[in-house]
Amino acid sequence: MAASTSGVYVSVIEDVINKVREEFLNNGPGEDVLKELQGTWEAKTVQAGVVNNPIERSAAKGTPGSGVTPVHDLNVPYEGTEEYETPTAEMLFPPTPLQTPIPATPIPTPLPGTGDNMYNIPTGGSEYSANESGSSNGGVNAELKAGRSGPYMQPPSAWMNQRPPLDVNIAYVEGRDEADRGASHQPPTQDFFQMNSGKRKREDFPAQYQAGGYLPQQDGAGDAAPEIFEIEVSEGSSSIASRAWSEMLTRVRSSTLKIPQLDGPIPDPYDELSTPNIYNYQGAFNEDYNVASTPAPHDIPVSTPAPVVQNDVGDDDDDEPPLNENDDDELDDVDQGDELNTAHLVLAQFDKVTRTKSKWKCTLKDGIMHINNKDILFNKATGEFEF
Amino acid sequence: MATFELYRRSTIGMCLTETLDEMVQSGTLSPDLAIQVLTQFDKSMTEALETQVKSKVTIKGHLHTYRFCDNVWTFILQDALFKNEDSQENVGRVKIVACDSKLLTQ
Repeated sequence: MAASTSGVYVSVIEDVINKVREEFLNNGPGEDVLKELQGTWEAKTVQAGVVNNPIERSAAKGTPGSGVTPVHDLNVPYEGTEEYETPTAEMLFPPTPLQTPIPATPIPTPLPGTGDNMYNIPTGGSEYSANESGSSNGGVNAELKAGRSGPYMQPPSAWMNQRPPLDVNIAYVEGRDEADRGASHQPPTQDFFQMNSGKRKREDFPAQYQAGGYLPQQDGAGDAAPEIFEIEVSEGSSSIASRAWSEMLTRVRSSTLKIPQLDGPIPDPYDELSTPNIYNYQGAFNEDYNVASTPAPHDIPVSTPAPVVQNDVGDDDDDEPPLNENDDDELDDVDQGDELNTAHLVLAQFDKVTRTKSKWKCTLKDGIMHINNKDILFNKATGEFEF
Repeated sequence: MATFELYRRSTIGMCLTETLDEMVQSGTLSPDLAIQVLTQFDKSMTEALETQVKSKVTIKGHLHTYRFCDNVWTFILQDALFKNEDSQENVGRVKIVACDSKLLTQ
């Protein structure tokens, strides 16, 4: 049984490697990295005891592959900035590249969800943005939006990463920067601070203007920014009514601002892309109230309800976590107590599950069982349980 | 072809995930490509189980917990007995996670 499991695993590894080879060769890091992947993967499965050590040819590859690994680790960051950049953005990027090519409006809805998870993790960002926006605007608005500007701050950093793709140092600093937000213990460099200050200014705009302020961000250039910034400041100190009015203003101005923006980046394609990007930014940034924001980002009413909804969400968050946490704890106690330690696990598909009184019957198929440190595969399994 | 990410939790899947993780961390691999590899693993693993595995297993035990959520059954068995043609295993506590097979055939 174990032998056949090993055989299946080896064939799966080879199948996967063969089928992603094209991708590795065409757009990716190439054959060497693919071999490294295969080597490490195989080595790990051998180590885990689920693949027999003498893998036909795979065993031969395994050893050199894992030997090569450290060499690549050292070289790659030097050679390719892109490579270094990519993992930096790992946490943040996946949404962004997807967003850019896809102009469809409906997509922002799922994106906020993903963005939400990713951006919420480094909660440190929100404190830090609260300070910023507080210092720049000092209004109630700033406080309300501080929570949002936190998560929102990171997408621009992703853009920042994209812009200086040729400069290793900048990409590297960016990475640290993001890491710092999650857990601020690294004492990075002056570059880091400079980068941040640049970002903060730009990010503050959208935080204030949900609809109007996006265009300047995308440009990333300082040109359009100052104008909006002024508006913002005045807005921050003014009443809600005047805020609505000034948002109107910016919206009007934003249409005129579009022209300089278009000049900045790539002219034609960017023009089309810019609109969805705006929406997406908003999506990532509006996660808390995506319902309101997604359908009509440019409508005036949206901006008004948005903060309200956000407040509600905030209240809910305050109320719910204790309940949820307790629930989880109870479950975890039951589930994890013995389970995760021993970690006997069956992964399968079910065809049918039935119950008669306290007798459960189920038919499973295509399963992988990890029991008593052995992996056992099955095509079919029948279970009879007593509850 | 639709696939489950279920098998990523298997030993071979965890080994792959770890490997990809390390390579992405070190900058050797882009996250996008890593995801593609994982997706391919989902397909290859499912296919291999369908085509290469013929064995049958019977499971008996005391059902401690059952849960059906998002088309996924989770059973926690106590004192479970796993039998196949050539061996049998006793386990004090085991978790079974099963996705709906109909979702794949659709």
